[in-house]
Amino acid sequence: MNAAYEFVTGPLAWAAWGIFLLGSAWRLVSMYQLAKKKDASSLAFMDWGFSLRSIVNWLIPFNALGWRKSPAMTVATFAFHVCLLVGPIFLAAHVMLWDQFFGISYASLPDNVADVMTLVVIAACLYFAGRRLAQPEVRYITTGQDWLALVIVLAPFLTGFLAYHQVGGYELMIILHVVAGEIMLAAIPFTRLSHMVFAAFTRAYMGSEFGGVRHARDW
Amino acid sequence: MNRTLPVLLALALVLACAQLAPAQQDMKTLAPAAYGNKLTRPPAQFNHDQHNEKAKLADCVVCHHGGKDGKIDRSASTEGTPCADCHALKVQGKGTALTRAYHKQCIGCHQAKGKGPVACGQCHKR
Repeated sequence: MNAAYEFVTGPLAWAAWGIFLLGSAWRLVSMYQLAKKKDASSLAFMDWGFSLRSIVNWLIPFNALGWRKSPAMTVATFAFHVCLLVGPIFLAAHVMLWDQFFGISYASLPDNVADVMTLVVIAACLYFAGRRLAQPEVRYITTGQDWLALVIVLAPFLTGFLAYHQVGGYELMIILHVVAGEIMLAAIPFTRLSHMVFAAFTRAYMGSEFGGVRHARDW
Repeated sequence: MNRTLPVLLALALVLACAQLAPAQQDMKTLAPAAYGNKLTRPPAQFNHDQHNEKAKLADCVVCHHGGKDGKIDRSASTEGTPCADCHALKVQGKGTALTRAYHKQCIGCHQAKGKGPVACGQCHKR
């Protein structure tokens, strides 16, 4: 147990963070170079004002037409993304590890709040899965990559929930949880999860084209 | 010869010694009064005597160290002093807060020895 825990929280954790950060930087640089080569005119149209206008308007729930057209998805996706980011970063157990490993301490969420947020993430994952199966227009464009991304995200939250409640063999569960989290981090640059890195630029691109070329809103 | 006095004296000595370490013998968890009722996790499982027997710890200073300004002094024993007497819940300036002190000392030693609990739920059992 000790050797396995040391390995997954030591070298494997450094590797996962390294792949996540360097991989993301590499994806951004290579995407920029590809855009410069194949879509230079769009780069010329990139505009801070139109970019930020699009980003801000899409960040407000039910503000964009796309959000209003599918209210259930809007609620699910906003709840999911907020809980996905805020939950793990401010989880008391994770904050404690920052303190233990690096002497960094910051505010944390009460455990029962974090517990509910974890359940929200799990429930949203199930909703997304159901939507991919039940809605024909979504099902038509669903690929294996979409399912892979969903499973990669679900795994650390499910194992984390079970480890916290110490259900189903704690020692194995905590190691599975750490590994699942590391797989998620390392997968961000190279799977559909890369929208974490690209989303702001995708919006900026659309916003700039709609604002500067078509003179229209893109929300 | 009257044996009552020596027997009473011996009994008094035994009782006096037993008085010195009642907390250690009864100790099953680490949940000092300093935390009040603000425990965020179940208290860490710790049976003082059982632990030391298993870990073959005879020297108290291994855990009950001295020191000041956040520096540990392993030559100065503070045997018999509970952790919370020196480590406050929150520290100003140098020094180590109680929770951090527990985590560093327990997990640090377990990691160094390759034995004993290292992950949260191994001590904080539900």
